This record gives sequence, C-alpha cells and structure tokens, in this order.
Amino acid sequence: MSPAIEVRHLTRRFGDFVAVDDVSFDVGVGEIFGYLGANGAGKSTTIRMLCGLLTPSSGGARVAGFDVGSEPERVKAGIGYMSQKFSLYLDLSVRANLEFFASAYGAQGRTLSTRIAEMVERMGLGAVEDAVTGSLPGGLQQRVALASAVLHRPRIVFLDEPTAGVDPVQRRTFWALIRDLAAQGTTVFVTTHYMDEAENCARIGIMVDGKLVALDTPTGLKRTHAPGRVLEVRGPRLSVALDALKGTPGVLDVSRFGAGATVRVDPERMAPEALAAWLRARGVDPLEMEESAPTLDDVFLALTARAQRGDD
Amino acid sequence: MHPLLVQYRAVVVKEVRQTVRDRRVMALLTIAPLVQLFVLGFAVNFDVRHVPTVVVDQDRTVESRDYARAQLAGDTLDLKAELRDEHAAEEALEDGRASVALVLPRDFQKDVLRGQGAQVQALVDGSDPTRSGVASDAVARFAALRATQLLQAQARAQGTSVPRAPVALVPRVLYNPELSTSVYVVPGIAAMLLLIVTTVIMAMGLSRERETGTLEQLQVTPLRPGILMAGKVTPFLVIGLVDVGLALSVGAWVFGVPLRGSLVLVAVATLFYLLSTLGVGLLIATVSRTQQQAFVGGFLFVLPAVLLSGVMSPIRAMPDWLAVVTYVNPVRYYVEVLRGSLLKDAGLPDLWRQLVMLAAFGTVVMSVAARRFHKTSA
Repeated sequence: MSPAIEVRHLTRRFGDFVAVDDVSFDVGVGEIFGYLGANGAGKSTTIRMLCGLLTPSSGGARVAGFDVGSEPERVKAGIGYMSQKFSLYLDLSVRANLEFFASAYGAQGRTLSTRIAEMVERMGLGAVEDAVTGSLPGGLQQRVALASAVLHRPRIVFLDEPTAGVDPVQRRTFWALIRDLAAQGTTVFVTTHYMDEAENCARIGIMVDGKLVALDTPTGLKRTHAPGRVLEVRGPRLSVALDALKGTPGVLDVSRFGAGATVRVDPERMAPEALAAWLRARGVDPLEMEESAPTLDDVFLALTARAQRGDD
Repeated sequence: MHPLLVQYRAVVVKEVRQTVRDRRVMALLTIAPLVQLFVLGFAVNFDVRHVPTVVVDQDRTVESRDYARAQLAGDTLDLKAELRDEHAAEEALEDGRASVALVLPRDFQKDVLRGQGAQVQALVDGSDPTRSGVASDAVARFAALRATQLLQAQARAQGTSVPRAPVALVPRVLYNPELSTSVYVVPGIAAMLLLIVTTVIMAMGLSRERETGTLEQLQVTPLRPGILMAGKVTPFLVIGLVDVGLALSVGAWVFGVPLRGSLVLVAVATLFYLLSTLGVGLLIATVSRTQQQAFVGGFLFVLPAVLLSGVMSPIRAMPDWLAVVTYVNPVRYYVEVLRGSLLKDAGLPDLWRQLVMLAAFGTVVMSVAARRFHKTSA
C-alpha cells in the first residue's frame, strides 16, 4: 500500500527566510505521526502546505494520493483539519456547526443526518447538541472541533496542537478518540507541545529551525538522542552537592524536582556507581538512587541544544 | 442537489443563523435604519422659516409701520422685538437673538410719498449661508413688490394709467411643488443608511471569521471562494431589499415621498447597489486583519462615498476635479435612480445609464474582492 503522506524535499521560503528546509518523510496509512518542534520551527508551515493552504517553494508532497502543489482542491476533499483555535462558530449550536461543516464537504439529506448522529454518539456530544458552542468548556469544544474535522470521513486528519489549553483528563479522553480513529484506518498527523502526549505516536518527527532533525519511534529517538542513563537521587545536603555536580565531566544534565533531582549521565565517563560515590563523598548520605527511563523531553532538549551549538 | 448548491445553501443557512442569533446585528439591520430615517428625515431640513427678526422703525409713520407689518406677514420672518436704533439691532444680531434686522430710516414716509426713492436697510447674519440667503431673498423680493405696488397706487392717484411691470416671472415647480426638503432628502438618506449598514456588516463579518480562525477552517474545506462569497452575500441582499421597502414605506407615510415610478426598477437598482456596497465590504475585509480595522476601513469608504454622492450637497456645486470622482461612486447612481423614479416617474429610458454603472461597479468590485480573497487565502 502506498503511504498516506509522501513528503519529498519540501521547502518553503518567505523572502530570505527558509521556514521549511528540504524536508522528506512518509506517513503510513493508519499511522499516528507526531510532529514536534519549538514555536517557529516550521511545524505549522509544513501542515499548511500539506493541507493545500500554502504552495511549496520547491519540492512537494502527495497527500491522500494527490499533489499538494497542483491539486490542492482534491487534497482538501480527502483530509480533515483541526487547528489549536478549534475554529468553530461559537455563536452557533453544536448541531449547527456539525451541519455546516458536513455540508461544506457536500453531504446532504440522509447521509448528512446519519453521519452527524454517528459522530455525536462517538464523541459523546448527545447532551450538548443544542447548546451554544461558545458556552461549552474547552474539552467539549475540542471534541466538537474534532467531530467537525472528521465528519466527512477523511482518510487523513491533521491536528495542529489540538490539546492546547485543555485539562489532563480531557486530553486523555481526546487521545482515546484519536487512537480509535487510527484503529479504523484514518491516518493521523498531529503536532503537540506536550511530550507525554507524543508518546502516543507511532513515530515522531522533530523540527528544529525548519529542518527535520530526527524521525523515529519514541523508543528509537530516546536511544539515539538521549543516551546515557537517568538517575533519580535523594538524600541530605543534596542541593549543595548538586551545585558542585554541574559541569563535572560525564554529567549531561541536572534538574531538580521536589526534594530530589534527576541526573543524566554518560555511563562511559561517569557510571552510576561513580556518581553515587561522588555524592556520598560530599555528604549526601544516606543516598537513595533509582534509575529511570529517558523521556522525549530529554530527546527534544538534546536535539535543540545540539542545533544551537551548530554541530549537526 | 448539486454539491456546489449544497455548499452554497450551507453558507447561506449559517449566515442567516448567525445573523438571527445576534440581536445587536438584527437591530442594526432593521430598527436602526428606520429610526435614523425617521430622525434624519425631520432633522435634515433646508426649509428656512421663522427667521427671528428685529425691526428698527425710526420713522414711526403709517407708511413705515405698514411696510414692516407686510414684510413680516409671511412665515419666513418672525418679529422678535422692535428696537430703538441701529446699534441695538447690531447687538441683537451679534448675540443671536435675531438673524435679520430691518431698519426703516427717518423720513421713510416722506421719501415714499415724494417718490424720492426711500431706503430700507436690512442687516443679515451671514454665518449660516442657507438661512441668510433665504432671508435676504425674502427681504429683496418684498421690497421689489412693495415698490411696484406704490408705483401703481401713485399712478392711480394721479389718474394716469397704471404701469405694468414689463417682465413678470411666473415660476411653476414640478415634481415637488411644495419644495419640501424631506421628499428630496429621504431617498438620499435611505441610500446612505443602506450603504453604511451593508458595507460595515459585511466587512466586519468576514474579518471576524479571519480573527477567530474559522476562515482558515473554511479554506481547508473544498468550499470555493466564489461559493463562500455568494453564500455570504445572499442573506444581506434580501435584508437590504427589505430595508429599502421599509424605508420607502416610512418615506411615503411619514414624509409624503411620492412613489411614482416602477418599484421593480427600484428593486433592480437596489440589488445592483447592494452588490456594490457588499462587494466593497468584502474587499475591505480582505485587506483588514481585525474587525476593528474593518470597521475603520468601512467608515473610510462610507464617509466620502456619502459626501460625494449628491445626498448632502449637489454635485453641481462641487469643483470639477471633485465632481469627476462622483462618476465612480455607486451611491451617486443609486440616489439618482431613487429620486428619478420615485419623484419623477423616470423609467428605464432615463435611468439605464445609472443601472449600467451600478451593475458594472458591483461586478467589478465583487470580482476584485473574490480575486483578492483567493490570493490572501493561498
């Protein structure tokens, strides 16, 4: 099966500024693909090009089987898009919004009503169908927006920071809906700021300054870009010792939390045992030390820092 | 139904739902224009009547008293006070108690009887040109009339034949015989209100979609800009037509505006006119980032469009270089159609040029707006 999204040397310039610089990747059918990057890294520009809103300066992409540069209208008919602003008519009822967006894709008559009924059921919007959209809490608005974006049963759905400003419980519900969509064969392309959410993705691409600097599964990314070991340490007189620890060869990162701290070390130069000895020697005794897994946060910080140093 | 029609209907339904839900917009569309028409119809009144006048009669004779009484008999000038001297009259003009002072000098009667050319002085406050124009006109006309009457009386007394004025002007006013300002002004006000309401609402409506992000959402749907714009414009065309109907009803009942011409012609002109005003609204929205900018932009268009349309002041009174601008002003043509049709029963043979201009303006503005819209969205 050919991929749902094929991106080849995709580039977009605004004057002298290169917002997206020679980006290539594929997204498989039914895959949840995460796209991470700082603000201004080129995530939104990429999404806008893939949705047919913006013409590439060079290179190109095929989305749902159509070329985004030459057939943007056919691309649009095959995709759904939800932005972080939820982009609903807040002064209209939930039902009026769903009816409008379904009809904008050409649905009418029985098709229209069955799809809306099905979507209301699936997204759990039955109780608020007649409510004015603007009066609903963020989590519900988010679900209405998702419903509007997938009512026409697109093969691919683009979600641009869909969980910004939504509480953790609603975020979890939302991700369950997204996994549900993917399980039914919909390809999901999602950008997010939340690294814990990114763990839901099958694969993740990381953008830094317009370039795709990494692309792998979450596990693969951690193995490649956040090497070393993460150790959670606790003990008396820790804060004094930690100040001295920073800058010691083999210590990659030190960050405090509550009563303890997380230390990431390069095991080649500073093994966990050596770290324990080092800390005990400075009065952190009794010492509690526990190894934990690196997170995508570590990956992201490492990649951003590397780009800032300029050694690719 | 064809998919394009489904999309078009969806946009129309959405616009209607949004408009009906928003009470303020509904009021702005229906009640506000009527109230304004009512108020402006009464307020914008160029009829000059009851100009406060003081009289300084230094002669105090039968002749001078007769003269003053006859001059004040009509309702143009109203007697406020009789003053002793010219100095007091000037003071009255200065502090605004009076706008006209009539000074009948000593020996007025003697000069009249001797046929020595008696003089009447009229002091007129020129700070309001319309009013002073009408007042000095009334004073001059009366003086001429009185002179003729006196000549005739003298001739009769001397037994000679009564001389007749060699030329007499007999004006007859057509279409608006009472020279009522309202009849002339109300169609202009209707055109102006329609312009303000439709341009600003359209401009703000589209820029609100840009501001809230729904425009971007629309751009990822297969909805074409042409369909979107047609759907957005349609409800306001209907509302605009209803507004014109209401305005003409109020005009006819309250201000006695005659509805002489074809209402079909007026309706067609209104549709073309609305295409222009709504098109300008859309165009403004395509160059505005926020609703505020769109609002300001709307007024930057509306104000000169009204001033350079002949609604407020006649185009003939404008300097040539400015009058040229009015040729590209849809308000001008629409007001000409309204006045021509309603007051004079002018038909297609007289007004086809205006209709062509309105249609041309509407088409051009709409297509430029659609092109710009397409470009900004790409």
